[in-house]
Amino acid sequence: MKMGIICVAFIGPQNNPIYLRSMDPATDDQYLKLHYIVHCALDAVEEKVLLKRGPGDSQDAYLGLLYPTEDYRVYGYLTNTHVKIILLLDDEAPIKDEAVLRVLRRLHSLYVDTTSNPFHKFGLPITSPRFDAQLEQIVALYPRPGASLGGFTT
Amino acid sequence: MLQNAEVFTLTYGSIVRQLISDFEDIEEVNKQLEQMGYNMGIRLVDEFLAKAKITRCSSFRDTADVVAKQALPMFLNVSANVANWSPDQTECSLVLTDNPLADFVELPEEYRELKYCNVLAGVVRGALEMVNMEVECRWVSDMLKGDDCYELRIKLKEHRDEKFPFKDDD
Repeated sequence: MKMGIICVAFIGPQNNPIYLRSMDPATDDQYLKLHYIVHCALDAVEEKVLLKRGPGDSQDAYLGLLYPTEDYRVYGYLTNTHVKIILLLDDEAPIKDEAVLRVLRRLHSLYVDTTSNPFHKFGLPITSPRFDAQLEQIVALYPRPGASLGGFTT
Repeated sequence: MLQNAEVFTLTYGSIVRQLISDFEDIEEVNKQLEQMGYNMGIRLVDEFLAKAKITRCSSFRDTADVVAKQALPMFLNVSANVANWSPDQTECSLVLTDNPLADFVELPEEYRELKYCNVLAGVVRGALEMVNMEVECRWVSDMLKGDDCYELRIKLKEHRDEKFPFKDDD
């Protein structure tokens, strides 16, 4: 079954994992595979960053499609504090950049709200149930494959 | 005023974090927050009375209304409701559905005894003491603990007469 967003990952500035969530109930094998793909994505992020930081290039947060694997497409987003948000999609239809960008922006905003909690500890994985619930809501907004393109409301 | 709201929230959060790491015992932290609130309240009441231009309150009921509808909006930018009056009119609840002190806060399990907003209980106690009302304030509902509102129960213990610092007949 094609699901759209398969996996969301937040990686910290020292490439430490902050949060990795598979939106599809996955078996242990799948989970390792997702970890591996996200890990490879980090290299792709560094490459893109090096390419982009040429003279006169704008410093955008959205990195776009990092690389396609056989099953998934990997999208990246780099905040200015070097937190990376990685999204794995298994949508075969042509993906609209704006839709992915919207999801990434919301995830960024969710991350910021969560870190504003005085009890949040930087560098440690996020375990808050509120974060989980809100992340699910954001992911649910991404149009499923086959849904009408006009179905995305901000 | 509004652009300072986040700085205010984050500052308060830092204070609570610092108190926890200084005192380690949560009950002690609750007491410290209340004491801080008390010290703020005894000073805030003058500023409030200077700015609000209200007349003398004729009863505790009036006082509670003024606190909920004028004082809280002035200082915290939120309005509260007064509810659950006791039959003898000496006890009531201040109900808030929105509390800028606790924006973004998620209370971890190990701090479930923490009364995060206890500074407010102290502020109310301190402020009312300066106008000769001795009250006791305690939290009965807390949204950080899953309740659907913040409810502060205020109980009037004594209404003292005005005390003048020197005798008139000297």
